[in-house]
Amino acid sequence: MDLTKMANDRKLYLCRRYFQAGFALLPFLWAVNSIWFFNEGFRKPEYEEQKQIRRYVIYSGIGTLIWAVLLLSWVITFQVNRASWGEFADNISFIIPVGMP
Amino acid sequence: MNLKSLISVILILKLSLLNTGLSERAKDQMYEHFDGRMSCFRRLNGTHQIGCSSKKGGSTGIIHFVETEDNLNFIIKNGADTNYIPIIPMQLLTQKTMHLLKNANIFSGLILYKDNETLEHFTHERTCPNKLSNMKNTCDVAWNPNGTGLLYEDLPFPIYYLNNNEDLQKMRDCFETFNNYSYETHKARSLCLVELDAFMFATIDTPTCIRRSNLKTNLNPVKFCDPLGGENVWATLFPLEKKQMNYVVVAARLDTTSLFHGVFPGAVSPITGIVTLLTVADYLKRMVGDDENYEKNVLFALFNGESYDYIGSQRMVYDMSRGDFPVKYEADAKNPVPTIDLTDISLFVELSHLSKSGEIFLHSLDKSNTFYDVLKKHSFTKITEVVGRLPPASAQTFIKAQPNISAVVLGNYQDEYTNQFYNSINDNASNIDYYYYNATEIPLDSIQHFTANIAEMLAKSLYVEISGKDYKGDEKVRLDLVDELYNCYLLDADCKVHQAVQRKKLRESPYNSYSLYVGVTVVPNLLTYAIGLTLAWLTGTVTSNSTCVNEPASPMYQYFNMSKSLDNLNTTVCYRSIMNFTEAISPAFLIDDYDWKSGKYSSWSESTWKDFNVRMFLRPSPAHERFTLAIGSITMVMSIIIVYFIKSRSDVLFSTVETCSPTSC
Repeated sequence: MDLTKMANDRKLYLCRRYFQAGFALLPFLWAVNSIWFFNEGFRKPEYEEQKQIRRYVIYSGIGTLIWAVLLLSWVITFQVNRASWGEFADNISFIIPVGMP
Repeated sequence: MNLKSLISVILILKLSLLNTGLSERAKDQMYEHFDGRMSCFRRLNGTHQIGCSSKKGGSTGIIHFVETEDNLNFIIKNGADTNYIPIIPMQLLTQKTMHLLKNANIFSGLILYKDNETLEHFTHERTCPNKLSNMKNTCDVAWNPNGTGLLYEDLPFPIYYLNNNEDLQKMRDCFETFNNYSYETHKARSLCLVELDAFMFATIDTPTCIRRSNLKTNLNPVKFCDPLGGENVWATLFPLEKKQMNYVVVAARLDTTSLFHGVFPGAVSPITGIVTLLTVADYLKRMVGDDENYEKNVLFALFNGESYDYIGSQRMVYDMSRGDFPVKYEADAKNPVPTIDLTDISLFVELSHLSKSGEIFLHSLDKSNTFYDVLKKHSFTKITEVVGRLPPASAQTFIKAQPNISAVVLGNYQDEYTNQFYNSINDNASNIDYYYYNATEIPLDSIQHFTANIAEMLAKSLYVEISGKDYKGDEKVRLDLVDELYNCYLLDADCKVHQAVQRKKLRESPYNSYSLYVGVTVVPNLLTYAIGLTLAWLTGTVTSNSTCVNEPASPMYQYFNMSKSLDNLNTTVCYRSIMNFTEAISPAFLIDDYDWKSGKYSSWSESTWKDFNVRMFLRPSPAHERFTLAIGSITMVMSIIIVYFIKSRSDVLFSTVETCSPTSC
């Protein structure tokens, strides 16, 4: 999809739908939304729907950030404690590395 | 891609460009490969891991050839690099050296070789074998006084045994040419390195690796470890037709161990015991002949996995106490096999180390034992009774389960093993002073005569035990059989006895896969089968069954077509035998919610691995490495720049037809 060829109301619709869909535990959708519509929201000359697009871009960005912090802290916690959690850690693993505690 | 692999890729590319005329691959020109099978590997029990593992992809280090301890101290003091792999003579493998190597922090591996010095002792078993599974006071005595216990330590680097002089010379030459001068410049020049690859998959302990092997959620199912185990061999002297309440058990162990994969000679223990047991079985069978009216029956049992906390005997005791031995008793079956229970055992005779010695010892727990007097009467040499405690032996397991079994252990030691190479790679034919005489005159002071004498004494005593009277017949113990049996287990597995007992299928399998190490349950141990068939041959009865099949089927018997005798291998007759195998897997792996920390049963398992590899190569000096990297980087950057310019000036360089649309061209 080429945003340059799209009508402004269509852009707003798309941006809003992406933002809404992100609530279905899809942080990457928010990440894509915030990057993809960044130019539209902040760098294009002003137009009617821009304010709303800008809002969705900011919200998507915040959502992405929160997700990133959560995921990162979980990954670090899990990797640090995998060995000491023993059976519990094994049960929630999909891949167990060989030759490691 | 990290720096090292980048360098190696560039090196390979360069080399392959230089040597396009040669068919040999650059990889093969860079590395000198060795047979890496004799590596130390990892085992696990309920609470610990022991043995060695390399890093993933192999541990590399600079070769340092060591002849004396001073050489080792020298490199610890002067070693400029951080990764050395010393090649040390066997006698240096001690707790002291290990401590030195661990604390120096500059070693990434260890290679062992045998030099010309005579070893006084070499045993890495504990001072009290199977320490945690013995009765209480057993370990008050250091049975194996020189045992270093290294076999049960978690070692920090891979260890490899180099038993080939040619390979040793290659490593030594490489060391002398590239490494053995101006140690202070080691960091700055090209050096000879060796890589030991023995990466182990399992870690922590048995419950962890078993659990991980069985995970259902695992996307990439890997087997981390296998339980140690194999099969016990047993046979009875008389058929098990009706429930017999009185058994004499004659037992020996079937396995040994060592630090290195693929080298398990086990001459004193267990081979002297196995050969003595087989000779007794043969002699006793001929003594009783076809008469089956005796008060007692004899159960010959060879236990597997005894080196690892009595796997085999623990399992047999477990089965017996549940009424499952030899098979689960089913009264309504057509031919129910009567069980042998723990309470049916009146005497337990175990054959421990029985290499040549001027005196033999009968160990027992209390003096009430009358078997000593019987033995003494038939003895050919001095026999001493040692009362109070039993040495580490399978009998321990039986007494722990049934304290009133009268058990004796026959060995050539009083309170320390005379065998200085117990459970090691040096417990070989020369340790028991064995030579194969191949039907020629065997000297009187040979191990063959000693074993035959012990067997005669035992068989005659057992005859008294089962019949209540002395043997008056004129059967003799077979010295030639002793000679042949030792030959089979020590020198040549394709020997006369194995040729006599084995059906075609088993004989076709490669003989070098014969090993006295218990191994893992998923791989059949061919030597166990061969020994079982030998016992069947020696205790079997020749029948006139022309087809030699078990018809009508009776679970008690097995029928085998085997050679008539050692002198007549090509004529086969049908033997009906009461020999069979039972599983020797520790009950710990059968009980669903077994508490691994309880130590009740053996919990040993062996880690899995992909490959054992050892290779030697020359590492370029750091300056050379940097230079190569720089050239590579410059080449890459330059090519990017050139491509960019060519692309941006392409209209100048390549003539293009202007105003030419794709459809009209």
